[in-house]
This record gives sequence, C-alpha cells and structure tokens, in this order.
Amino acid sequence: MSNNEFEVFVHAQGAKPKLVMASPAEPLKEVLARAGISLGGTEPMLVFVGECLEALQESIAVDNGEDGHSPVDPSFSVEQLRLREHKHIHCHRCRHVAVEVNYSSRTKHHRFSPATTIAVVTKWALKKFDLTDAAAADYVLQICHSKQVPRPNEHLGELVHAPDCRVCFDLVKEVTPQG
Amino acid sequence: MKSPDQRAFEADLCEAEFRIGFAEGQWGTATEEVVPDDIHWPRVVLWIASAKRPAAPDRFYVLLDCANYKTVPPTGTFWDPVTKKMSAVDKRPKGKSGSRVARVFRTDWNNGSAFYHPYDRVAAQTHPNWANEQPHLIWGPDHTIVNLLDELHVLLNSEDYVGIS
Repeated sequence: MSNNEFEVFVHAQGAKPKLVMASPAEPLKEVLARAGISLGGTEPMLVFVGECLEALQESIAVDNGEDGHSPVDPSFSVEQLRLREHKHIHCHRCRHVAVEVNYSSRTKHHRFSPATTIAVVTKWALKKFDLTDAAAADYVLQICHSKQVPRPNEHLGELVHAPDCRVCFDLVKEVTPQG
Repeated sequence: MKSPDQRAFEADLCEAEFRIGFAEGQWGTATEEVVPDDIHWPRVVLWIASAKRPAAPDRFYVLLDCANYKTVPPTGTFWDPVTKKMSAVDKRPKGKSGSRVARVFRTDWNNGSAFYHPYDRVAAQTHPNWANEQPHLIWGPDHTIVNLLDELHVLLNSEDYVGIS
C-alpha cells in the first residue's frame, strides 16, 4: 500500500457500501473494479461522486423537483474527481430515484440523486411538511408497507434496484421507549 | 487468542458502515491514551459526536460491554475520560422533558448504567414488551455496533438535546 492511498466508500444498488483504498493517479474505473463493480451491461452504469445535498435548497412550494447531480466519466483519475474530498462513489443504473413521502394524508415528491443519504431525504421531508420545530426531532422515514427504517447514512440507491427506480416512505414518529 | 465475539466486533469496525461514520466525524474508538489498561474485552470505549450546546463537550464517550457480540446487543452508558468511571449525572447529556432523548438517556432507571433503548442488552432483556411495540429496533442478526452508534448520534444531534445541565 502506498502512503498516498486513502479510503473511499463505494455504494451500489441493493448492497451495503464497500471500503476500498484509492491512489490519486489511478482511474476511478480501476477502483470500482477492485470493489467488484461492473460498468458494462445493456443499461449504462452511472457513476456519481460525492453525496448529493441539492434537495435541501429546494423551495417548499416546488413539488416533484429533480436533482441535477450528474454522473462522471470513470476513466478520470481519482485526483481529477477530487475523491479525497468527496469520499463517496455511487454506482447505479437509475439516473434518479423517484421518492414519495406520505405524512398526515399529504404526499410530497422529488427525484433524488441515488447518492442522497436518508438523513438528507428526512431533512427535505421535514421542511416540505413544515415540521421544523422541536417536534420534528423524532420523525423518521419508514419504507411504505413495512417496518423498515433505513439508517441515516444509507444512500437512496442502496434501497432500489433498476429498473424500479422509486421508493415510497411514510414519515412517522419514532417510538419512545416506555414501560 | 481472540474470542469469536471480539473478532466479530473488530471485523465490524473495519466495515464501510463504521468507517463512513468515522470519516464524517460522527463516532470512533477511543485512543489508547484515553482508555486505562484495566479496560479490555468485552468492554470497549467509543465516542460519539454531539451538537454544540453551551458548556457541553463536542463528544461523549461510552463504555460498552460487548460480550457475545453480535448474538446479543451491547450494554453500557456514558463514561468519563477524566475520572475513568461511569459519568456523573451532571456530566451526562440531557433532553427536553418528555423527549425521546431524555427517555433513552434517563438516569433514574438501573442506576443509569444502561441506555433505555432496545439496542441495550439490559434494557431489552427487562422489557420484553418492546419486541411488539418497536419491532424495527429489536436486535437481530443483521444489526451491528453501527446501529447503536447511529441511534446515539441522532439523539445527541437532535433539537431535543439540550446539553449537560
């Protein structure tokens, strides 16, 4: 291992993230190969660098907005793509993940980058439903028709499999331990 | 030779999910300078970053007993890196009255020696009703130390966390 190597995190559809060491001069596609990511296939594998925060800037009035977070060319080097700073790489065949969030008989929509964390989607939903006071602290996103509550650091893309590029959440109050 | 539970714990510390939280400054393992020699497996010391509050630290340490990890969850509570003992009540994080933060970090139960949460072994074993009331928080084969750290980090960065006084 060279002294210049550093940790990056490779996220992909329907899988847990992987930790891979990267060197500044090598092409990103070589890092992805070590992580077991195949860039081939009938549908192109899109490679996103960094985690996407764009939805947090969206006005409350906008519904069904869309992140602009663009895929990169994986033949570029790790250094060119500033991976030491961004740390995260997300590989997915969905360009966006269509999210709907239900709360109190209302539904909000957004087309997120697959490289968006659950923490960001939760903040976006709280803002959209005007739940910004202290009571908002206990709300979590629960996958519709399930009891599954994804972790805050999970990426949306880890929850969906192309070609089904959508996920539905209910915004629910986390249970406070009693008894 | 390390026991299977210690090997499982140390393997999870090398997984991306733990390393992501460390890289984001959310949590980590305590350094050797902080941990006294008499603390060894199955007891481990970790830290979790907390939101800024007046007169409160920017991280809290926890001492966890991880025996039989990860068949069963850890148990533990806040730990003082200065006195090397369980944190005094006036040095522990507090939550707004009635909040989830206040409930999980309560000190009026079990002498404050465990978290009041299903991811704490002692709390879970003494509250079998939780399995029905909050099934998504019941420790299972897919849970790791990261699930507990996630919960503690969310609570320590919640609007309901008010500091140590």
